[in-house]
Amino acid sequence: MQPILQVRDLRFCYDSGVPALDGVSLDVHAGERIAVLGPNGAGKSTFFLCLNGVLAPESGQILLDGKPVDKKARKTLCERVGIVFQNADDQIIASTVASEVSFGPMNLRLPRNEVARRVDHALEYMDLQAFRARPPHDLSGGEKKRVSIADILAMESEVILLDEPAASLDPAGEERLERVLARLSDEGRTLLISTHDVDFAFRWATRAVVFFAGRILADDAPQTVFGDAALLRQAHLRRPVLAEVFDVLRAQGMAPPDAACPTTVGALARLLGEK
Amino acid sequence: MAHRHTHGPHSIDRLAYQSGMRGWNPAFKTVLAVGTLVFCLAADRPAVSAAVILALAALQKGKGKLTLRDYFGLLLVSLAFLLLGGAAVACDISTVPAGDWQVRLPWFYVCASADSVRFAASLVLKALGAVSAMYLLALTTTACELVDVLRRAHLPPLLCELMYLIYRFVFVLLDMYGRMRQAAGARLGWRDFRTSCRAFGGTAGNLFVLALRRSRVYSDAMAARGYDGDLRFLEEEKPVRAAQIVGMLLFWAALIVLAVL
Repeated sequence: MQPILQVRDLRFCYDSGVPALDGVSLDVHAGERIAVLGPNGAGKSTFFLCLNGVLAPESGQILLDGKPVDKKARKTLCERVGIVFQNADDQIIASTVASEVSFGPMNLRLPRNEVARRVDHALEYMDLQAFRARPPHDLSGGEKKRVSIADILAMESEVILLDEPAASLDPAGEERLERVLARLSDEGRTLLISTHDVDFAFRWATRAVVFFAGRILADDAPQTVFGDAALLRQAHLRRPVLAEVFDVLRAQGMAPPDAACPTTVGALARLLGEK
Repeated sequence: MAHRHTHGPHSIDRLAYQSGMRGWNPAFKTVLAVGTLVFCLAADRPAVSAAVILALAALQKGKGKLTLRDYFGLLLVSLAFLLLGGAAVACDISTVPAGDWQVRLPWFYVCASADSVRFAASLVLKALGAVSAMYLLALTTTACELVDVLRRAHLPPLLCELMYLIYRFVFVLLDMYGRMRQAAGARLGWRDFRTSCRAFGGTAGNLFVLALRRSRVYSDAMAARGYDGDLRFLEEEKPVRAAQIVGMLLFWAALIVLAVL
């Protein structure tokens, strides 16, 4: 199957001279749920900005549907790849929630009624209808986060990049976020999420990509990535609690020794129930 | 150092967002406010000024759902300045007693005549009417809608976009400064005058650096959503109702009648 996005040997360097991306290659297929892991400063955010076309890589290539994206076509990257910034306050520019959400679709030069439809849909999706006329400086952190996600939903991008979306959310906010992510995934969107939350990455992702010092250290199924102790040590990651618990259960003979670690608590309960 | 945010840009901005007249067409409100201002100034009659003040207060209370306490509280701010200015107009200084009333001070007299007091009072009333007309706009229309009205009035787009972004950044920077201020306070940064000066310098300098960095992130975030040098938002349609126009014309007609009588 043709990958929706292909990245070939991407390199990028900020003014400080230290390479932020040092030869990154990655294929993204439609409908994938990819967790992008790695310590702060590993290049995750820079990678996202390159994928979305905001930053122009020094060398390397990005292919969209197999066609290379040159300088002129960088705008099509913006249209088809949306990015939700880590800090919602860095992203929100308008003075009411509704006009904020309309900013992206207006830039896509859509007709007025189509923009209005998309704004309504995005606000409905993020449960923000009650806030539509409110100024953003009146909202709480969690509400601003929802606005920043609605911003990108209104652009109806096929690929959505979320930069540490759960940072600064309370548990209820995280739960709501996961529901939205699940729904987006069911609707066939391709999602890449950078996160430090290994438990979330373990249960949510179909694929885990580990960044370290501007390179990709590992790119595999979460079970494989989180099973590699040497890799986790090198990338300053820890094992998910569920994997640790499963090891204990297996050592005590309470779980089948040959079973793969389940990724959710529900799956673990089922596995133990079978036994 | 506890402080509350009840005054300043927060409160006027909040009143505008909460106003019952927020749903009115902003261009209509601008025409109403500016037109009434012109009538008030051109008529130059205390009766017209008083009518404008009372009618607009009633409008803000009735349609805007603003409490009279809030409204006159805000009006009082400008009234304080106007009264000081009015006193200067009404009174004269002379070495000999003159006018109808005098206050004797060492070396000179402060005097006022009935005419000068009447003139000053009508001046204050006129200015207060003009202020009420501007409050009609300021307390019911959000800053971004005003910018939109200006844009439609063919103010250069660059200026409009600057105003729009500055409005948003005022709140972003206020928020940032508030947090830095608290952080400095948590480390006894405001314990005495010297430390306060140092802490203020530090936060101000830091704010500048942060603002620069923030602006870079912002331009990235805008580019990520396809911004190409033309700031566009979907403005809500707020149609003007016929009753509003009729009301405005009747109000103006009443003012003309008052001015001519």
